[in-house]
Amino acid sequence: MVATLKGIWDSIRSWIKSFKFRLSDNMALITGIAMGVLAAVVQGYFNVQPPVGAGICAVSHPANLVNWVVNQIFGTSFTIHSIFVTLPVLTSVGFILGSFIAAVINKEFKFRKGPVRDNLLAYILGFMVIVFGLMWGSCPIRTAILASYGMVFAYVVLGAIVLGVIAACEYIKWKVRR
Amino acid sequence: MLTFKTSIITLVVGMILGYLGQRSRFCTISGVRDFYLMRDSYRLKGFLGIIIGGIIGFGAVNIFNGKLQDFLHPGSFEIMPILADGFNVEPLILVPVSLLGAFVMAYFSVMAEGCPFRQHVIAGEGRLSGILYLLGLVSGVLFFDIVLVPILQVISLL
Repeated sequence: MVATLKGIWDSIRSWIKSFKFRLSDNMALITGIAMGVLAAVVQGYFNVQPPVGAGICAVSHPANLVNWVVNQIFGTSFTIHSIFVTLPVLTSVGFILGSFIAAVINKEFKFRKGPVRDNLLAYILGFMVIVFGLMWGSCPIRTAILASYGMVFAYVVLGAIVLGVIAACEYIKWKVRR
Repeated sequence: MLTFKTSIITLVVGMILGYLGQRSRFCTISGVRDFYLMRDSYRLKGFLGIIIGGIIGFGAVNIFNGKLQDFLHPGSFEIMPILADGFNVEPLILVPVSLLGAFVMAYFSVMAEGCPFRQHVIAGEGRLSGILYLLGLVSGVLFFDIVLVPILQVISLL
């Protein structure tokens, strides 16, 4: 009796261990699902709308924050999403703080040179990404959220994003081969 | 406390996602890139996970009395012009503008080795290029407001 119970316990423990292994393998999938669910909760129960599907964004939320600060200081009237006019949106600050906390807890925080070697190039890339990103008005994350919200055009834009990535990959391949 | 509801909830959501993003190296653009170049689907699963999580989440919120405007019927042309929100921009001009913007954004994101979300995360980790990228982001917003929004309006009047 005790032996069989012990056997069952051992099999359960090995199953949990195998699940843990798979958990670390699928961490990105879990992050993605958390993004979708949190965007829905923020919009549905905390009433972050209009515009729809704007719970999480890494392009329009920093733009709204910058415009809010500039409007407060200089009295200009740059457009902001109507829900964020009176109060600033702090999602991008949260991204930075959250990753800082995670890096400090796991002892990975260290000032070092980034993935882009050239400093001026990194600055220019940020500039170009936000200028062209604001033409569409969403980062890829919010595009996927809008697609799950039922917007047909968002699927077309996801196709355009994939095409842009493929074009850049082909350019890099061509440059390496040369 | 209630008056700061929007700011606090966005800050909390951002911190949760920043934590998860740092642990999982989540990135949308690198997901597609890794799959195209190396057939590595680890991060691509995260990108598809947003759509899965969104369908589950929005469906559940819709069932459990959440308030969702125009669920399943978002006016596609009304919500596209994000910063040209209050202006009378001709909707049809925004289709090519949006597609061009998304294409070029993806192209430059591959050059910067990460989507805008990933750049926030690596800036929090203390990477120099992430911090410089965020400075570029701030100046790009001002450039868009001062130079590009009037141009878009003039184009849409033609």
